[in-house]
Amino acid sequence: MNIKTAFSVKTDIKDAVQDIQTQLGEFEAKLLIFFASSAIAPDEIAERMEAAFPRAETFGCSSSGEIVTGRMLTNSLVAMAFNRQAIKNSKVEVLEDLNRESHRAFNAFERHFDKPMSKMDPGQYVGIILIDGLSGKEEQIMDRIGDFTNVNFIGGSAGDDLKFDATYVYANGKSYTNAAVLAILEPSTPFSFVKTQSFSPLQQKLLVTRADESNREILEFNHKPAAQAYAEALGTTVADAPNHFMHNPLGVVYEGEPFVRSPQQIRNNSIIFYCGVKEGIELTLLESTDIIATTKDALASAERELGGMSGIINFNCILRTLELKEKGLTDSYGALFSDVPTIGFSTYGEQFIGHINQTATMLVFR
Amino acid sequence: MAGKIKQMIDAFVNQRAQGNSVLEGVVKIKLILKGIDPKIYTPESADDPAIIAKLEELMREFK
Repeated sequence: MNIKTAFSVKTDIKDAVQDIQTQLGEFEAKLLIFFASSAIAPDEIAERMEAAFPRAETFGCSSSGEIVTGRMLTNSLVAMAFNRQAIKNSKVEVLEDLNRESHRAFNAFERHFDKPMSKMDPGQYVGIILIDGLSGKEEQIMDRIGDFTNVNFIGGSAGDDLKFDATYVYANGKSYTNAAVLAILEPSTPFSFVKTQSFSPLQQKLLVTRADESNREILEFNHKPAAQAYAEALGTTVADAPNHFMHNPLGVVYEGEPFVRSPQQIRNNSIIFYCGVKEGIELTLLESTDIIATTKDALASAERELGGMSGIINFNCILRTLELKEKGLTDSYGALFSDVPTIGFSTYGEQFIGHINQTATMLVFR
Repeated sequence: MAGKIKQMIDAFVNQRAQGNSVLEGVVKIKLILKGIDPKIYTPESADDPAIIAKLEELMREFK
């Protein structure tokens, strides 16, 4: 076994880290990823995880519920360790101020891997991004990453158990806010991605004709006030429209595959979303389907593609988690990951190609 | 003039994907998320200078 997971629900940080250490035992971790409930002090967990695994690069983030092999958890610490047989090479960098564009991380990757980002083979390398979930900068950062490289970055926006107070990313012993951790890995085995959103596209289209992207606000669809156009597409009233947000988000649909944009609230006839949308983009009305069934199918498809799975990192939208809780399905969802070493967390946003909502993005290793 | 945007999009997708069909899809999705939907541009589409400048910048950056 070259990928190993551990979790702890101990409330004392020192005990929780020791619990993880004990479970990993003699496993020689080269890289260790962890997700920690916001109940766990950010500076201390970053420092203690680094100290506990001095021979490994450690990185992670705060969460809004955690996932570990076979289970969905709360108020816990989950970790995935990779040994040298699992990961040939890796480099972890931090974008420390998301308000300022910096090429420092990209330059560091280029030096470390001794090749330009644009020449890195997306079949050989994979990127992981963990980003402050309250920064509102996810689409901008993903957009810039995509400008420089074909390497796929997958990840999630850090959470804080729905307090919406502060979220943190961790790298090599330190915690950061208004920051993103970027890691590029060169796995020893093939890897693939799961992007499952449990929505199917409907016929109704809404063209974004006026938007304030930086505030994630759509003012007009089809040259009409956004809330009115959305309500009309659903065949309901503006007052009733928010009741449909969870089950009828919108999506950029490419060859039948939706990239979900979730409405958050109506404000003065505009709609505020959980991610930015540019003017000129056509969105399609979506309809929710069965999270358990679609996730099961997506995992089966990844397993067929890879010929087996040795590890999964699951970035699962908090809105999916809330729906699973509402329907009493968290145990069923956790059970989907019983047979493969898995960690994950409930995110404030998911990343794959771009920034997306109400989706589970997963990195899967053979 | 017309059709330059479609030409540039095709060149950009080729530059990035080098014939890899999976990558072509990824590059097109990235363009859509940037507000440039490849499917709406044809050889008859007007040459919008703002879109052309954006595509030139993208091609320059990916070197």
